[in-house]
Amino acid sequence: MSELLPALLIVLPIVGATLPLGVGLLRENVGWSIAALVLSVEGGLAAWLATAVYGGEGAARIVHVLGGETFGRRGATENFVVGIELVADAFSGLMVLLVAGVALGVLAFARRGGPRGNAFYSGYLLLTGGLMGLFLTGDLFNLFVFLEIVGLTTYGLVASDRDAESAVAALKYLVIGTTGASLYLLGVGYLFLRTGALNMVDVSRSLAGEPEWIDGALYGDPLVLAAFGFIAVGLMTKAAIYPLHTWQPDAYAAAPDAVTVYISALVSTGGAYAFARVTWTVFTPEFFAVGQNARILELVIVLACLSVVLGSGLAAMQRRLKRLFAYSSVSQFGLIVIGVCVAVHPAGGTQATQLAVYGVVIHLLGHGLIKGGLFATVGALAHGTGARRVREYAGLAKRRPFLSGSIAVLGLAIVGVPPTIGFLGKWYLAVGALNTELWPVIFVVFASTLLTLLYVARLLETLYFDGPAEGAAPAAGPEPEGPGAPGGADDAVMTDGAGSLSYGMIALAVSAAVLTVLLGFAGSALTDATQPIAQAVIEAAPEVGADG
Amino acid sequence: MTETLLFVGDLLTSQYTYLLFAILLVVGLYIVVASSNLVKKVIGLNLFQTAIFLFFISAAYVQGGQSPILPSEGAGEGLYASPLPQVLVLTAIVVGVALTAVGLALIVRIYSEYGTLDEETLREVRADE
Amino acid sequence: MVEHVVDSWRPLAAVLISAVAIALIVASHRRPNVREAWSVLASVGKFAIVASMLPGVLDGTEYRWSLGMVPGLDSEFVFGVEFALRADALGMLFALLASFLWIFTAFYSAGYMRGLDEPNQTRFFASFAASLSAAIGIAFAENLVTIFVFYELLSVATYPLVAHDETDEARAAGRKYLAYTFFGGGFLVLAGTALVFVLTDTTTFGATAADLAEADPALARAAFGLLAAGFGVKAGLMPLHSWLPDAMVAPTPVSGLLHAVAVVKSGAFGVARVVLEVFEPDLVGELGVGLALAAVAAFTLTAASIIALRADRLKRRLAFSTVSQLSYIVLGLGLAGPAAVAGSGTKTVIIGGLLHIPAHAFMKLTLFFCAGFIHVETHTDYISEMDGIAKRMPLTMAAFAVAAAGMAGIPLVAGFVSKWFLLIGAVEANQAIFAVVLLLSGVLNIAYFWPIVYGAFFESHDDADSKPLIEFPLGGRASGGASAGEPEAVADGGAADDAHDDDAAATDEHQEGGHHDTADHEHAGHAVHSDDQHEDHDHHGGPPPGGWERAGWTGAEGSWLMLGPILVIVAGAVVLGVVPYQAVFLELIEVIAEGVVG
Repeated sequence: MSELLPALLIVLPIVGATLPLGVGLLRENVGWSIAALVLSVEGGLAAWLATAVYGGEGAARIVHVLGGETFGRRGATENFVVGIELVADAFSGLMVLLVAGVALGVLAFARRGGPRGNAFYSGYLLLTGGLMGLFLTGDLFNLFVFLEIVGLTTYGLVASDRDAESAVAALKYLVIGTTGASLYLLGVGYLFLRTGALNMVDVSRSLAGEPEWIDGALYGDPLVLAAFGFIAVGLMTKAAIYPLHTWQPDAYAAAPDAVTVYISALVSTGGAYAFARVTWTVFTPEFFAVGQNARILELVIVLACLSVVLGSGLAAMQRRLKRLFAYSSVSQFGLIVIGVCVAVHPAGGTQATQLAVYGVVIHLLGHGLIKGGLFATVGALAHGTGARRVREYAGLAKRRPFLSGSIAVLGLAIVGVPPTIGFLGKWYLAVGALNTELWPVIFVVFASTLLTLLYVARLLETLYFDGPAEGAAPAAGPEPEGPGAPGGADDAVMTDGAGSLSYGMIALAVSAAVLTVLLGFAGSALTDATQPIAQAVIEAAPEVGADG
Repeated sequence: MTETLLFVGDLLTSQYTYLLFAILLVVGLYIVVASSNLVKKVIGLNLFQTAIFLFFISAAYVQGGQSPILPSEGAGEGLYASPLPQVLVLTAIVVGVALTAVGLALIVRIYSEYGTLDEETLREVRADE
Repeated sequence: MVEHVVDSWRPLAAVLISAVAIALIVASHRRPNVREAWSVLASVGKFAIVASMLPGVLDGTEYRWSLGMVPGLDSEFVFGVEFALRADALGMLFALLASFLWIFTAFYSAGYMRGLDEPNQTRFFASFAASLSAAIGIAFAENLVTIFVFYELLSVATYPLVAHDETDEARAAGRKYLAYTFFGGGFLVLAGTALVFVLTDTTTFGATAADLAEADPALARAAFGLLAAGFGVKAGLMPLHSWLPDAMVAPTPVSGLLHAVAVVKSGAFGVARVVLEVFEPDLVGELGVGLALAAVAAFTLTAASIIALRADRLKRRLAFSTVSQLSYIVLGLGLAGPAAVAGSGTKTVIIGGLLHIPAHAFMKLTLFFCAGFIHVETHTDYISEMDGIAKRMPLTMAAFAVAAAGMAGIPLVAGFVSKWFLLIGAVEANQAIFAVVLLLSGVLNIAYFWPIVYGAFFESHDDADSKPLIEFPLGGRASGGASAGEPEAVADGGAADDAHDDDAAATDEHQEGGHHDTADHEHAGHAVHSDDQHEDHDHHGGPPPGGWERAGWTGAEGSWLMLGPILVIVAGAVVLGVVPYQAVFLELIEVIAEGVVG
């Protein structure tokens, strides 16, 4: 039964996406209820899948071949898969849980704050389905299709409040995103040309020269190297790595708040996941150990380091909160890409690989949680007080103690203050990098703490220690938070969206903060879950957790 | 010298689709980057994608190959073209069409709001607001 | 001594009791009496829990708690490292000190905050409790990662206390504080910890030295440098000390307990863990890093004393004194390396360095409490305004005099014993040069404390001697008291005139009646202190018209809520000095030194 789960997880939200539009013809405003229903079932399925994957000894690898046995793998290993394989293993299992959780959580936000209308919820469910597919597919071309499904729905959702500003941002995102995806496709084409396969496992085996008709490993082939180059550039665009990040601040800033929460937590994460998956599973460390292939990895690392430094610097210069945290994402994904590269860099031994893999996976999860929580808090504060700029945050802590507390906890988590999941990710990335003895990279990773502190500290100081903005009388004390809480007539910064703060938003923000801290103590559970991935990368095995 | 000539000759006669692929790819990318007209950007994007489709199709071409439709009594002898790249390109075309549609819809929205399709003008208009 | 380790929840309880108090403090923010009661209860409870482990620790038992004792959780915090607390002798030293002194600080701060009618008191008490939680966590941390967790939390928890005033000055100090401590913690200590982990596969104290000895010496030195510098930031080692004087804008109980005891000592304590248990003295000596550390400490303690000579704001002078005194501790620890190589004096320098932790804590807390008390009662912050103040606050100034004597190392007060050990140890370790530095520093200590005491007791405001060191620019050129008209004597150009005018105007409002001349004179004097750039002129201290009133020796000088803690703590300082072996700290430290030297 559990073999059906990967397919169900993708199909359910995509089929569900037709419902809000269809039923919407009969009744208005059914979108939220339908989405809530579908995503609750989805959450259940994701939990089931997680138990199936992690329940036993080691981590199971659950494979579902679309089209059944006809297109499946037959006989000896050298029989390539014709159809598309969906794979739930230790890596995708964690990501599926993240998607299901965030999708449900953002619904709580969108109930009052999000774009209204059934069409939005159709797009929302479609995006969820696309992300599930992105994380579950075991096929390189299928990955492209899901990248584009995710991209398309994201462009639509960014512009879903019908604001012209967001249309401009969405178009920019579309042009850059599509170029990136096309480059990825080109890389896949090169690989296909050389190996004749699209299944990740098959491509990996062919590159290693396992099938009889291939004369030795293909690692030295310039075509393969070019393929990695195109794939890396394409996926780094999706993950918003400098200098391909320019779409991200505009898109995050212009999108409706609920959409920003969702895409900041998951969409770039999808890009980074794909990069890690292809680099680790398809190319494997052995590819980079051959000849000068490690140079291309170092090129990527240089870009990622620039991303860390410049992303933080630009974040510190922003006046608007959503742009600030968008640039912060640029910097954090720089760290993740560094980790992906460190894990396969020949300079590091198995320990570097193991720790860097831990770091990448944990930081992907942690960053999704933290950044989603931050955008949820920022959105909730904007809905409650109208404040969208850093200086409008002056003294807000006294009026919104819970939301401000969330910002403080999540902000410190992104700096890497323990005990939070943000610290765990950073620790593993740092220790992993240390094992390679690539000193400039190590310096950047450690210095990223201080760079992140630049903008977080500024924000916290404004929030807690600046007097209220001019013209606003100081509030007498903490007001009760909630939808009924009046902003007060003395509220000078109150503008759009005021008064639409809901308990759902506060609950989402606070639970993200609490979860961030609690997961800080779940270090061993997280590393246990990640261990099969690390093991697979160390052994250069294309199948994660196949042999338990 | 002769080798280079042979290579160029080969490229122009039997491998010219790859040459076309490269040209289209670069032209498309150039339009995306250099043109300030939003519609032209989308056209450039289409060219760029088309180039990649052409690449897949060229790779799948087998001289004298039949279409891979097998008779029910079992595989006949002969040369078949691989169906896989064709399928991939079909899928990719669908994706491309969807992208173009979304892009054009966004452009319509932008035009109705700002009355311009030029990126530079758009930037000025938005800066004024 | 037979060591055995007992699983116990007590170390965690000692950490968490004040964390629980935070919630209660915040919840009762509308009822100040209840709120302060929680503070006091938490402090007493914390001390009781810590003290309950003391007999066991003295007998060689260690109490250990790890994350795995929570049902459903694994001990492992990050790969290969447990999240564990262990109450051992060294940890007990710091925990006992911090929790004991917190009791009195809790009373004192209630009096202080109410006396000044400060805003945001709930945030203040909550952060204070959080800081103590983190400090005890640092004390009991079993490995470098765990200590890093609490070290970072301590930085975060004390930031609101530094920026408490919400003035521009306080916020700037807060920024500086965060920048320095995160550079020390999140960058240096983290990097050092990671390096130690990579080199040895563990970070547990006492388990790393053997592997470090076999590692590449350059990397081992780098790890020591990163860790020592990282902890050194909080310990005020030069050149990373400058956050500490700025942080004195915080309310005085913060300056007292945190910036003389808990926070800065957490840095010194971290250095102790690194020297004694991560690297161990033998390796520190072999790598040659001990001597380097001692040299930095010797430089810091001399330079800071010289700077302190010229500080006119009392709290600033005390801050530089803290920088200087902390380096005694670091010096003792640094000398453990060369002493181990020389084969003699290791135990003595370690005892000297560690004993200075409680000794300095008692003395400096007294001094800060006195400064705060003077501020609350008379709004006097500047030494130049304190002539004759003993008439107004006799008990306070008597306590101040005793503690200052201890600082200088005069016998019968706590400071003497630790400095004696340090002196002897330095000579035994063939590093007599450091003994000379110690003696020189003693002289400097007298030079910066004696004028305060002398002025307070034996001069009156109207006929005070001139104070050349703080009134005249460097170089000794006498520009006279009323120097506002001479811009060349002013560090920041013409600003002096403005400051002068503002002060005069403000003083007019503040002090009805005559006496303008004196006030102008005083403030013009401040404007030329190139050294005190962060002076704010909000407070107008100094004696009221007609000089200080006379208050009796029976406590008429102010609230007993503040006077009581001062007297208790100064008594503690004397007990430490007169009967060091009866006060528990020396016994504890001997257990530690036995453990290290064997």
